[in-house]
Amino acid sequence: MSETTFSVEINGKTYPAEPGQTILDVAKSQDMFIPSICYHPNLGTIQTCDTCFVNAGGQMVRACSTKVEPGMSIDTLSSTVKEAQYEATSRILQNHELYCTVCDNNNGNCTVHNTVEYMGIEHQKYPFEAKPYPPDNSHPFYRYEPDQCILCGRCVEACQDLQVNETLTIDWNREVPRVIWDNDVPIDQSSCVSCGHCVNVCPCNALMDKSMLGEAGFLTGIPPKILAPMIDLTKEVEPGYKEIFTISEVEASMRKSKIKRTKTVCTYCGVGCSFEVWTKDREILKIQPMEEAPVNGISTCVKGKWGWDFVNSEERLTKPLIRQGEEFVEATWEEALDLIALRLGGIKEEHGPGSIGYIASSKCSNEENFLFQKFARSIMGSNHVDNCSRYCQSPATAGLLRTVGLGGDSGTIKDIASAELVIVVGANPAESHPVLATRVKRAHKLHGQKLVVADIREHELAQRADVFIHPKPSSDLIWINALTKYILDQEWEDRQFIESRVNCYDEFAKSLEKFTLEYAEEKTDLTKAELIKVATMIHESKSTCILWAMGVTQHTGATDTSTAISNLLLITGNYGRTGTGAYPLRGHNNVQGACDFGTMPSWFPGYEPVQDPKVRERYEKAWGVSLPEEPGFNNHQMVEGIHDGKLKALYLFGEEMAIVDSNMNHVHSAFEKLDFFVVQDIFFSRTAQFADVVLPAAPSLEKDGTFVNTERRIQRFHKVFEPLGDSKPDWEIFQELANRFGANWNYKHPSEIMDEAASLAPLFAGVSYERLEGWNSLVWPVSADGKDSPLLYTDKFAFADGKAKLVPVDWTPPVFAGEEYDLHLNNGRLLEHFHEGNMTYKSEGLTHKVPNPWLEVSLQLAKERNLEDGALVGLTSPYGHVEVRVLVTDRVQGNELYLPMNSRDDNEAVNMLTSSYHDLITHTPSYKEMGVKMEVIESEGERPLPKENHRFGNRIPQISVRVEEKWKREDFTPIQELFEIRGDEHGESNQAN
Amino acid sequence: MARAIRQIKKEAPRQDEEQAKAVAEIVKELAENREAIMKTIGILKGLHDMKVLDAAHALLEQRTEVGAIALQQFNQPGMHNIIKNGMGAVGFLGALQPDQLNTILDGVGHGLKRLSKTGEKGEKQTIWRMRKRLRSPEIRAAMTTMVDFMEGMGEVFLQNGENKKG
Repeated sequence: MSETTFSVEINGKTYPAEPGQTILDVAKSQDMFIPSICYHPNLGTIQTCDTCFVNAGGQMVRACSTKVEPGMSIDTLSSTVKEAQYEATSRILQNHELYCTVCDNNNGNCTVHNTVEYMGIEHQKYPFEAKPYPPDNSHPFYRYEPDQCILCGRCVEACQDLQVNETLTIDWNREVPRVIWDNDVPIDQSSCVSCGHCVNVCPCNALMDKSMLGEAGFLTGIPPKILAPMIDLTKEVEPGYKEIFTISEVEASMRKSKIKRTKTVCTYCGVGCSFEVWTKDREILKIQPMEEAPVNGISTCVKGKWGWDFVNSEERLTKPLIRQGEEFVEATWEEALDLIALRLGGIKEEHGPGSIGYIASSKCSNEENFLFQKFARSIMGSNHVDNCSRYCQSPATAGLLRTVGLGGDSGTIKDIASAELVIVVGANPAESHPVLATRVKRAHKLHGQKLVVADIREHELAQRADVFIHPKPSSDLIWINALTKYILDQEWEDRQFIESRVNCYDEFAKSLEKFTLEYAEEKTDLTKAELIKVATMIHESKSTCILWAMGVTQHTGATDTSTAISNLLLITGNYGRTGTGAYPLRGHNNVQGACDFGTMPSWFPGYEPVQDPKVRERYEKAWGVSLPEEPGFNNHQMVEGIHDGKLKALYLFGEEMAIVDSNMNHVHSAFEKLDFFVVQDIFFSRTAQFADVVLPAAPSLEKDGTFVNTERRIQRFHKVFEPLGDSKPDWEIFQELANRFGANWNYKHPSEIMDEAASLAPLFAGVSYERLEGWNSLVWPVSADGKDSPLLYTDKFAFADGKAKLVPVDWTPPVFAGEEYDLHLNNGRLLEHFHEGNMTYKSEGLTHKVPNPWLEVSLQLAKERNLEDGALVGLTSPYGHVEVRVLVTDRVQGNELYLPMNSRDDNEAVNMLTSSYHDLITHTPSYKEMGVKMEVIESEGERPLPKENHRFGNRIPQISVRVEEKWKREDFTPIQELFEIRGDEHGESNQAN
Repeated sequence: MARAIRQIKKEAPRQDEEQAKAVAEIVKELAENREAIMKTIGILKGLHDMKVLDAAHALLEQRTEVGAIALQQFNQPGMHNIIKNGMGAVGFLGALQPDQLNTILDGVGHGLKRLSKTGEKGEKQTIWRMRKRLRSPEIRAAMTTMVDFMEGMGEVFLQNGENKKG
């Protein structure tokens, strides 16, 4: 008990309480029930439902909004209180028809049902009244049924203040209030980003996943012709709600045998949302996030909430395929694996172990990545193993390894949310890391967090930022170094932090000499005033986080820019405290884990160098083999290796390299040169078209395993379905193949693979499946006793002497395509699709929202070239050509174009245009450095983005649900006026209303 | 050298093979559950002979229509009363104390026995004898109970009257 703890009395008993707690908080902490329909722990107090009225010290007050005070005496049981709560609940039931047994939301977790039942309400005081609005079924994924809506405003609160998309409001001023989208438009045409927050928090069946309707219950598929009279009959004969609830409870528990709920971790971005998947046989009924989820709570985004149709897609690979002449022929696993063993064995024999490359998957589990590198290293004798972090965050990892010693985010999403200042450089979290972005947007909107965005595109966070700066492309290192120098010149650095915790200060300070504000102004197009403003904000903030992504890392000087960011954080003392640190945002669900578990050419699992004899010895002893000593090829070097004739064969799983690697033409011609190519995927991908053998793998819902998110958090996911057709989990395929080389592996379950990894890599010493049960997670490093490390560097940095290093870095000029390529080509993701879209285009709803990519063109350029929405243009770079339709927008400026990467069509794919130039240190391609020229092919055409897209919506920002407007309505009588406490707390109530 | 190709030769739709596999699985289950299956067939045959299956089939085919009609019938005041009375009766039984009810029912049973004996004999008694018998402890106990019962019933009658007025 802390010193500030005091005690309060509830119903005559004394309980401990803390300052700031509400009466409801204290009651909940004691497992004491107070009705509270509109309250949700992830949303906080809304005050619309009035069901939580209690008597505190002689006053009728809402338990959800009244803070406890020392010595407060609270009564939650007297008849006055009960009657007040009954009145409030009756008002709710006036808006909501209880037909639970035939309701798809009757699954044991309906807040309205459970509250009415718990309160023992037998009859409702006010009869149900339908609202004069039809249901809104316009959105592909969810519906709103006004007749069932109790107007609690949870959905509005979630949309306004948690997701902060600001689409939903309640219009309290119309005769019959309802929830509206934007300015009362159909949901599908509003600014709704389909994140699902509103549906996730709805306490009844007003907002429902369409996939649940008619599917969840035993009686809910009943046609309306029968359903309506059934409801009437039930209401006519009901003796009271108790009996009705008995039946609905029986039905709800019967549903448990038919609906399976399985915890999983999202396989889209690196945020690492976890939730339950509700399934009926192979049908996905819904994704239900839970408060307990460590990263997201009840938050989801459009892909995590609805983007799972790919799992049951008819296009899934279900049988191994072997190339025979000009076609692929279906084969058995024996035939396919025997052939792979024969060919890879032969090539290894003939050309040596270094003639085969291994490309791992950031979509697959830690266990699968661990096993794959074990296969490459211990069975095939090669360190030529890499994963797609090479395409994204390797430079950030390298920059952090140089300066602070560990290649991961320095804290968690909670630190980002609690920072006083967040700086986002070259990242678009609102689309690429949506749930993480919600935490920034919420802190910024409600809690005074300051937000600086540096980007060449004015994306959502940029629009919301306190300061948005638009530097010249590829000039980030310059302005960051200039800021750092300015801070030192002003003597705003954290002297004590530098002296006690940081090495190499003098050399570093000297290296900044040339980075004056004038120099920065000249090179970056930013003004001195802008730079001083940002520097001042850092100086004035007690805690600063810097978030960055591909806008920084996909450049020729990417590692150095990442280093510059870390340097800036070091000199301002922004490491090792809550709300501080460096956050390179990982792009894929397990890009962090793939690196952590060793699919890297120079690292064993846990970032131990393959060149270190002691480390090697540990693995050699455990695996009973001798291991290659030199680092292998990375992805880029593998492609070059094929062109040079050094690499003869490639084994790739879960990676669409033919589209996502830069300079596609160059990559395709490399694939064509391979003697033997194995591709393992859930779909017949573009890459698979080049393969000799294609193996059908199983996605996360069809296996067990763990992922590591951008926070370094290890989370378990569980098998929901059996693998489709003859497909198999990737780890089983590796094991069967390894055993054909005499490995004699006998892993029965991925937990055994994790146990082996934990026993070998000190970073994960304490990781085990037992410790990851349920919603438990571990943030590495994890010591043997299971203690994890959500916040790094609190005592020391990850170097021998515990001190961080300031590393001098200089600017590298970007790739120059040539004078004739006069437009700058920026590229990246969209909210609705993931990468090339192999998974997300399988969803009808997602494809309805975004059917194809488009080219963003600025207003200025559109005017200059006479372009309008829908015009078809050709873009040509020195490396290739694409043709796409134009969308004119103020998100981009001047000669800067934006082409999303979400296309599987060679004629639209941005990597037809990008080059093979790369970051000098990590070989990450310089995707963001390309010039193109544009020709107009058709001057008009259909706009590439349909009107049913949130980008055309009209947000209605406000704080919360504006309950004050409800209170001002003439037909509203405050509960406390009806049930005044008159000295005798057990006295009679005034029921005159 | 391997060009990108998209052509996949799927094993010709192996419908017959899959069918054979499915049939084999069914036969296996049938053989393993021979007795249960034979009995089920017997039952089905009986139902078929009685034309029950025809009726069930028609009902299923027309389930929406039939359901709507059935519900329409259910949704009548008479049916509402039956259902309500049924639930009321269940509630009434629930409210009774089993011990008390046992005593009463035992008493009623015993009384009936005596009653039937009297009936058999067909005897009549004089008023005088009957008045004398009223004094017996047995008769007095029964009478007190009946009066108490009537008093309780009256209390509820009065109370309901009040409620209706109020």
